[in-house]
Amino acid sequence: MSKTKEKYQLPEIKETPSRFRNTIGKYTIKRNSKCISCGKCVELCPFGVHIMPENHASPFRPIEHKCIGFDCKKTDHYCIEQCPEDALTLKDNALLDTMGDYRWTSEMLLGHFAMAETGKAPHVNLEYNLGNSGGGFDKMRFVEPNLSLAIEISDEDIDTSIELNKTGDERSRKTISIPCYGGGMSYGSTALSVIVGRARAAKRLNSLTCTGEGGYPPQFLPYKEHVITQVATGLFGVREETIQHCPIIEFKYAQGAKPGLGGHLMGEKVTESVAKMRETVVGSSLFSPFPFHSVYSIEDHKKHVDWMKEINHNVLCSIKVSTPTDVDMVAIGVYFAGAHIIHIDGSYGGTGAAPDIAKKNIAMPIEYAIPKVHNFLVDEGVRDKITLIASGGIRNGLDVAKAIALGADGCVIGTADLVAVECVRCGNCESGRGCARGIASTDPELGQMVEEEYVEQRLVNMYMAWRKQWCDILRTYGLKSIKDLRGRSDLLVHLDYLDEEEQKKYQPAPSYKVVL
Amino acid sequence: MINATKDRIIKNILASRGRLPHFKTPVNKCDEEGGCGVTGFMANIPIAGKHIYEPSVQMHNRGNGKGGGIAAVGLSASDLGVPQDVLEDHYLLQVAYLDEGAVGNVESTNINPCFDIYKSEKISTIDDYTSIGLEVKPPDVWRYFVRVKPSVLKKFIQNNNFYDMDQRKAEDEFVFQNSTRLNQTYYASLGDKQAFVLSHARNVMILKVVGYAEQATEYYCLNDFKAHGWIAHQRYPTRGRLWHPGGAHPFSGMHEALVHNGDFANYHAVSEYLNQYNIYPQFLTDTETAVLLLDLYNRVFEYPMEYIIEALAPTTEYDFDCLPPEKQQVYKYIQSQHMTGSPDGPWFFIIARNDPYKDLIQLIGITDTAMLRPQVFALQEREDVQIGLVCSEKQAIDATLQSIAKEDKRFCPIADKYWNARGGSSTDGGSFTFTIKDSGKEDGSKKLITENKFGEIIQTPVGQIHFDIQTDLSNSSESKKHTDQIVKLFKAKDLSQLKEYCLAQFAILDFEDIKDVCNTIESIAKSDSEKAMAIDLLTHLNDRIFPTGNKKRSSVLQIIRGSLTEIFKSSPKIKDKKNSQYSYIDFATRGDLRAPLDNEEILVVNAKEFESEGQDCDSRMINKAYRLGWNHYICYGYKGQRFTGCGFGSDSDKVRFDVYDSSGDYMASGIDGMEIHVHGNAQDQLGQIMKRGKFVVHGDVGQTFMYGAKGGDVYILGNAAGRPLINATGRPRVIINGTCLDYLAESFMAGDPLNGGGFVIVNGIEFNDNGNKVDLDMAYPGSNLFSLASGGAIYLRDPECKVVDEHLNGGVFAQLSDADWELILPYLEENEKLFGISIEDDLLTINGKKLAFDKVYRKVMPIQARALGLGSSKKVDTST
Repeated sequence: MSKTKEKYQLPEIKETPSRFRNTIGKYTIKRNSKCISCGKCVELCPFGVHIMPENHASPFRPIEHKCIGFDCKKTDHYCIEQCPEDALTLKDNALLDTMGDYRWTSEMLLGHFAMAETGKAPHVNLEYNLGNSGGGFDKMRFVEPNLSLAIEISDEDIDTSIELNKTGDERSRKTISIPCYGGGMSYGSTALSVIVGRARAAKRLNSLTCTGEGGYPPQFLPYKEHVITQVATGLFGVREETIQHCPIIEFKYAQGAKPGLGGHLMGEKVTESVAKMRETVVGSSLFSPFPFHSVYSIEDHKKHVDWMKEINHNVLCSIKVSTPTDVDMVAIGVYFAGAHIIHIDGSYGGTGAAPDIAKKNIAMPIEYAIPKVHNFLVDEGVRDKITLIASGGIRNGLDVAKAIALGADGCVIGTADLVAVECVRCGNCESGRGCARGIASTDPELGQMVEEEYVEQRLVNMYMAWRKQWCDILRTYGLKSIKDLRGRSDLLVHLDYLDEEEQKKYQPAPSYKVVL
Repeated sequence: MINATKDRIIKNILASRGRLPHFKTPVNKCDEEGGCGVTGFMANIPIAGKHIYEPSVQMHNRGNGKGGGIAAVGLSASDLGVPQDVLEDHYLLQVAYLDEGAVGNVESTNINPCFDIYKSEKISTIDDYTSIGLEVKPPDVWRYFVRVKPSVLKKFIQNNNFYDMDQRKAEDEFVFQNSTRLNQTYYASLGDKQAFVLSHARNVMILKVVGYAEQATEYYCLNDFKAHGWIAHQRYPTRGRLWHPGGAHPFSGMHEALVHNGDFANYHAVSEYLNQYNIYPQFLTDTETAVLLLDLYNRVFEYPMEYIIEALAPTTEYDFDCLPPEKQQVYKYIQSQHMTGSPDGPWFFIIARNDPYKDLIQLIGITDTAMLRPQVFALQEREDVQIGLVCSEKQAIDATLQSIAKEDKRFCPIADKYWNARGGSSTDGGSFTFTIKDSGKEDGSKKLITENKFGEIIQTPVGQIHFDIQTDLSNSSESKKHTDQIVKLFKAKDLSQLKEYCLAQFAILDFEDIKDVCNTIESIAKSDSEKAMAIDLLTHLNDRIFPTGNKKRSSVLQIIRGSLTEIFKSSPKIKDKKNSQYSYIDFATRGDLRAPLDNEEILVVNAKEFESEGQDCDSRMINKAYRLGWNHYICYGYKGQRFTGCGFGSDSDKVRFDVYDSSGDYMASGIDGMEIHVHGNAQDQLGQIMKRGKFVVHGDVGQTFMYGAKGGDVYILGNAAGRPLINATGRPRVIINGTCLDYLAESFMAGDPLNGGGFVIVNGIEFNDNGNKVDLDMAYPGSNLFSLASGGAIYLRDPECKVVDEHLNGGVFAQLSDADWELILPYLEENEKLFGISIEDDLLTINGKKLAFDKVYRKVMPIQARALGLGSSKKVDTST
């Protein structure tokens, strides 16, 4: 196999601050009325927490999310102690207790906000790589490296691209420059500016995003080379030209977050524009059936794939399935039916719109499913003929790297994209007119809270921050390409399977109480 | 006290089986497998094995070449080299040896000690399996004609207390148990499998390979082997590497072979259910459990076939209510006893069986209650030969008949009758049986009888004859009169007069005269304008269902289609520029495709040799032709090729297709503007996501018709099978002149029909044996009409209000308004033009009396269910 290194022109990172007046920080830092506007704190703080532009009589309100908190004590610029008037107070932000959950902790949310703002790893001490779930990726660590293997190589020289067509058929060999692309979010579930912003980011990152099941808004057309058309069981908005626009189609058979259920858009979100796009009735809830009614078996499935290939003679086919216990058998069947990508969607994913009963009766965790499928495909001798994509609870750059080491070629990201544009995961995506932050909403007013440019740059920033993490990992293990990390589960350890002494070498799983 | 005896026999059999060696059935099957393709036929005369070849080849895309099998029933004694009575009395034990060295062991443990062997032989094969494309060498198969040694049988009866049992049935049971032991020792208990029993029935034989089904007939030299019934199966196991065909179909219980298209969702539950009766699967596929269930009900419980079918595919919902009370009583017991063993999930079985106790052989097709797999039945009957067929796809039926007709001119390449079963229904029970038994003529001849689950006879019109294609043309003075008239009308360019004349005359003319007329039309069709007229005329005769007098319609169609094919074929080849608007292309000449020149307009595509999908399929070539500027296509010679009309993209308004012969799945899916006319029956998954355009089918359509469609004007002469128009949105406007099996327009979301939305008109009529239009017993017999729909409407022609609330699920009946009638009238007028179904005389005339539209049609509208509509923001929350 050729290992030609692709020199990747990194997209430009641009500082993109929060669209809200107050960004949530790990700490609260308050300035009281004793302040004499001496400017000492402004002088001291290297992080820009305190700002007093020229011609201003007094400093601005502290920019709290940039503050590194009590860690600053050890430095010579700890403003709290050096304030001549004792006008500053520092506290843990109590808001953090009310945010997040065991998988997406508040610190992880804040970490993503920071990466999306700056394009760099957060400088505040935030645990943004590990959640608090007590299992899965949160208990997995990259193994203590053998430092003699480490190499020195620039980020630009490291290859993070993956191939999406390995079948060797006559169709194009699509390559994306990062081992991630965007998961389906439909026009209807998510604000237009958000999904178009994702497409714009995908173009700049040379990656992809996905329409979800809600039609193909014309706003996608300028980015069509980077937009996957999803064909899901309701077939909403799917027409021949939407399949002809796209480089890849994705059959959504199931979602790990709600296996056995089809998509479900509540009546309230079926606004006039959504109904028009899907050609349905305003205000009527839209259910996608749980199966494809035309696919009740593998040979039906093959016919379905063949159909797509006849509509678009160059399209690649991705098959998204959830992770039942026989997911390995499903994967091999998918391969033999002529798919290019098998996309397995584990149980942690999904936004807030899945009914709770579904969220709690779910498929196999993705970290079990990936090696199961990977190894089976290896045994069957077809691993290098199909791209294995994992999704469903891949939250951050490190999760991506772990998934790849477990055997996936790459990952599909959904929730993290939304967090990058300041979703706080309140889980009320489906209620009322939709999201309070204007993300998961098609309400004409709420939807205007987000701008495409903002979404685009925040996502570029976040993925560039992730890319730095991947490059660090690859260098550490002497690898030059993310492709070489695939299936290297020898580079992972699971804390539960180490003896006590060994365990101490690794960062312990974070543990703090979450208010639910 | 018969019941007490019977109970005792059942208990003794089950207890006896409890002593067989077994292991616990694992939760998962050995391989995941999907639907697959199944085909079968049964004739009153023996048919050679090669005729299962074509239908099998044409369903390659339903398998993956990793498992194929065939079975034959009602075998030819002379081909087997045994006397007829040996064939009928002896067990035909076929053992597949995966390890050639195991022959001696197997014979010494499970064959020689217990059987008197009339004859044993290794089945002959071709020399080189790779020469027919097989990758894995098929097992050596040994065939033994055996009877159980009297002493062994006596001991078996003693040990198991089978004194009450018919001795022959006890012998059957011995054979069954002996095979179970053999399989356990040499197959199930081993990692490296050595041998297994393929079949052990009387007068039934099964063979299977890792490959395609027809390769089994080729490898084992069965092309000229004759049998009354054949079934074949293309398997689609998803695992990549298989080295033996143990998991391939058919499977056998005792005197049958079963093939299966589908996948049980409750495989483990069914296995556990069998375990309760001391039956332990050994091959770990759902098909094996299916045949074990069948054998349990058949041989242990001795249920009649009707009850067995009920136990497998229970009658539910409104259909159950429609059963007569006595049946309800019995079915209730069957269901309460056997529901847990009823296979859940998509399945369709074809069973070929021998019933030596009733001296008959049968071919049975059974569909699951939800009809999730495609299935088509067909029948052809004439005085001397009759054949019944059942397949996954109609094209496979046509392929079988064409193959047989090529050799035996008594058969017509078109069946007299095609139909679908409605699973678990009160109308046909979802199952049809073709039975071959003695004709009663005392000359040893057999006859074929077709029945549904309830034993009601299905037959083709009585008193009609087929055309004997070999007869010379009549050239009688009578026919001269007609051909002269045809020539005259052609000269006058009076097409409507031509059509009228032929329709009227074809009803009374002899076949020979019709053939003369058609030949004349062929010979006239030289210039473009005459050719266009000839095609139009013959197409009209092909499409219209007219009275054919004492002639079989299938034979009349055969003549008409033959002439059409000749005319199509005579078009100038694509390579030649002949100043004609027609240009002919086929697979061999596809490389010559070019843009239309001068007045060229119509591309005549002979689809026959094209692949069904992929780079060499006709759909791909036609796409290229479209980009080159061709807009009008006549496509014929289809044998199931898929995706006709797909890939044109939006605004294809200029395009028109005329499709002849056995067209394939997914036709017209996604079309946006074009017009497609199908001159005959069509298959499954048609018109999916269709956006705009006109789609006319002069026949029936199959499963999941117009799933997720957004629009289009669609006219169907016949029926739609299961689940049409599910999840359709936008403005589809559809007329189905027959009916649908179930789930019509589930989750229909097509707005307000009076305000630009969509609707479906169901007329509920059919054509009777004389070609006349008659009303169906019920316009919509299935349940779940328009269920959970939020938009659109159904217009149901149901003057007697036979369809009731129980058929609905979330819809309501409403009175038709003037606005509704104004909306649908233009569509009914177009329908009249296309199919000759008159609004005044056919649709609005009920029992000879003309009624007002609102007394004939009823409207079904959605109700705004609270759970679906506004005010449903509450999450389903089970956490507390």
